[in-house]
Amino acid sequence: MGNVTPTITDILHAEETNLARFRRALRREDQLVFDDLFTAAYKHRAAAAYAGHLLPFETFLLAMQIEDHKEVTHLHREVENLRAQIQELLSHSK
Amino acid sequence: MNEYTGWLLDLYPHPERGILLWLLCDDGRRRCLRQDFSVTFYAAGSFHRLRDLWIFLKHQPMRIELSRTERRDLFAGPIVVLAARMDSPVILPGLFQTLTCVFPDLTFYDADLHIALRHAAKYGTFPLARCHVAADEQNVIHEINVLNSKWDIDYDAAPLRILTIEPDIDPMHDMPKKLNFQTKRNCITLDLDGSKPSLGWINYLLSQDDPDLIVTSHGDTWLLPLLLRLAGEQDQPLPFNRDPHGQIRYKKERSYFAYNQVVYRGQQFHLAGRMHLDINNTVMYHDYGIDGVLEMARVTSLPVQTVARVSPGTGISAMQIVTALENEILVPLRKEQTERTKTASQLFREDMGGTVYDPIIGLHEDVAEVDFFSMYPSIMVRFNISPETVDTTKPTADLVTDLENMTRRERCGLIPQTLAPLLEKRYKLKSQLLTLSRFDCRYKSYKAGTAAHKWLLVTCFGYLGYKNARFGKIEAHEAVTAYGREVLLRAKEAAEDLGFRVLHLYVDGMWVKKPGCKKPRDFQPLLEEVRKRTSLPIALDGIYKWVAFLPSRRNKKIAVPNRYFGVFQDGEIKTRGIETRRHDTPAFIRETQMQILEILAKASDVESLKECLSEIRAVVRERQNALRLGLVPLDQLIVHQTISRNLNEYRAPVPAFSALEQLETVGKTPRLGQSIRLIYTLGMPRAHAWDAAGNFDPRRVNIPRYRRLFDRAVDAILEPITGMDSSWLTKVNQLTFDNLQGVSMTAFQTP
Repeated sequence: MGNVTPTITDILHAEETNLARFRRALRREDQLVFDDLFTAAYKHRAAAAYAGHLLPFETFLLAMQIEDHKEVTHLHREVENLRAQIQELLSHSK
Repeated sequence: MNEYTGWLLDLYPHPERGILLWLLCDDGRRRCLRQDFSVTFYAAGSFHRLRDLWIFLKHQPMRIELSRTERRDLFAGPIVVLAARMDSPVILPGLFQTLTCVFPDLTFYDADLHIALRHAAKYGTFPLARCHVAADEQNVIHEINVLNSKWDIDYDAAPLRILTIEPDIDPMHDMPKKLNFQTKRNCITLDLDGSKPSLGWINYLLSQDDPDLIVTSHGDTWLLPLLLRLAGEQDQPLPFNRDPHGQIRYKKERSYFAYNQVVYRGQQFHLAGRMHLDINNTVMYHDYGIDGVLEMARVTSLPVQTVARVSPGTGISAMQIVTALENEILVPLRKEQTERTKTASQLFREDMGGTVYDPIIGLHEDVAEVDFFSMYPSIMVRFNISPETVDTTKPTADLVTDLENMTRRERCGLIPQTLAPLLEKRYKLKSQLLTLSRFDCRYKSYKAGTAAHKWLLVTCFGYLGYKNARFGKIEAHEAVTAYGREVLLRAKEAAEDLGFRVLHLYVDGMWVKKPGCKKPRDFQPLLEEVRKRTSLPIALDGIYKWVAFLPSRRNKKIAVPNRYFGVFQDGEIKTRGIETRRHDTPAFIRETQMQILEILAKASDVESLKECLSEIRAVVRERQNALRLGLVPLDQLIVHQTISRNLNEYRAPVPAFSALEQLETVGKTPRLGQSIRLIYTLGMPRAHAWDAAGNFDPRRVNIPRYRRLFDRAVDAILEPITGMDSSWLTKVNQLTFDNLQGVSMTAFQTP
């Protein structure tokens, strides 16, 4: 078949390997965050492949950002919900 | 002049002139007829080399008619070639072998084609075609007409007489003691224990019942060689061939590398005048059986004995050859089109496969799976993608967004022309299957037919880019995937525009859900919208009561695209990538996983899954105990492994190495690509080769290793259901249903 170019998963693995020394030098708690960021990139391999970018790491960074932003939005919504519940409780207690 | 009507059983070159055809006539007789049939091959190259070839061929002892003519090359258009025509097809393979050595600089066309394909292109014949022939008193055919089409879905099936021959035990495991012969009228057992087994009964069966089709188990690799050797030792004729002058054609075993794995093909024994199928040497036999093999033969025009033993790729290649011959297009020996030069950026954008999403991990309810109908072949036909029609001057990725403009459309390409009738036939069969009861007599053959077509259609895409494909071109291959990606993204956009949540995309399928959508009619607007946006046929594969997309074993946060299981609303279970689908899973573990799924399939919705847990717990406990106490039959613990390296290439004493070593000791050295059977054992060696001689002490079974495999298989199913690992099964005494009440059914679902 075709496939003379590495697959997007291969590229992501290679990027992760390239940064192994960087990861090693991080504190344990930061290493876990590092792993989470790469997990986020893994989730968007299809989009990164489709983009066909010459520098795929840029798309991986954006993928990490997307997951991060999703989490922020999710937490934001949770905070809003909790705030609304507190307001409601306070109004009832009054 | 005599006229006969019947089914075409076999076709092969006459030892001197023309070809021989075996006809199963309407009067019940099997007639051997001869037909004058000349074959032509072509050569292209420099003028003086063609002149040399002319002189060379003129000096050959056989009669060869030579001429200079113009023929169409698929890519170069009309070219001037030397045509060599001979009345005796039997001499062509030998002659061609000489020519490739003497004239390696010339390009040969139509030189290595199967005689059945040439006949199919000229007369429209195919194996088991209904034919009407007019023959003279010497049984020489003067006229032949085919009365039906290979594309018919209902046809008069040939009343084949079938003989099955089976040993009492697997000869790869131990020497069989008996051979069972069965025809419609007779059932005979031949004792192999005696010093001289009597072959008289086989002679009797072959002459009295005169079978058209001999179906054997290990016939190619063990049975026929054994019987022929015994016949030689006893100086007894064994008329496996119906043609008394025909030779049994023998093909050597071989291993080759394809699709990143080593494939093994056992030796073959082809008969003349009747057919021999070895069910253990028949490709995809487990998938479509004899009905599928016969359907493969019909649509590819390759003889039944050949098509049973070759890959679907050879089948699709045969279909392309027939189309080329019918259109008077030259058939090259191999692919001659090289890839055009591309920049790195173009390579990144064009050298891609289909779109595959990471599914949303967890358990989902009321999910519809919608699939494009044979997506890649449909794309090739709909958008006229063929090696000669693809526009190679522009990058595919830029053009594909405008679906219509990518390929040249003035002439229907060779590949779409080949695939269109096959797609249409599959579509008709699948439509019929939807209306037929499972007990309808046509159901089994229709099902086998669609399975056979599926394999041909799956391979036709790969063959566009395959290095040995005669009509391949990498740009056409890339164009198909580019269209595939575009089409699937359009489908995704349509689903999202209609308010569906897309859980997963996988090359040609999409898993979607929407609150309130549970019935097929709820998904109709989506199907219509996708059809409108892509102009390709799409269908609802089914609606899952529930489906679980599983995470990777190494990282629970990452999904695996093709690892899921679910139950459709009609109760049908679908699994992908889990232990039940893996060929190296021991039967005991596969059955356990399937039993759990069958229990879960009874639940009507996600909420009631919890009610199945007590039954599952009982099953798991019972099977765990059986494993622990050594009550599981040994053959249920066999692991199958395909050999991909030689014994001296192993670097560690892994179980496969140990098993190979034992097999080699008893002289059963398997070839690369062959599968071996082993049982994991404690200590060294790490495995026992199931097919090695000697008794095996069951106490040596590595129970802890099987237990790990067992737990992993149970976990895979129960994790998404219970939201926790199945270690609860071992703490069964503490378990009450109250413990499970708080467990979220979508514990693994990401926000």
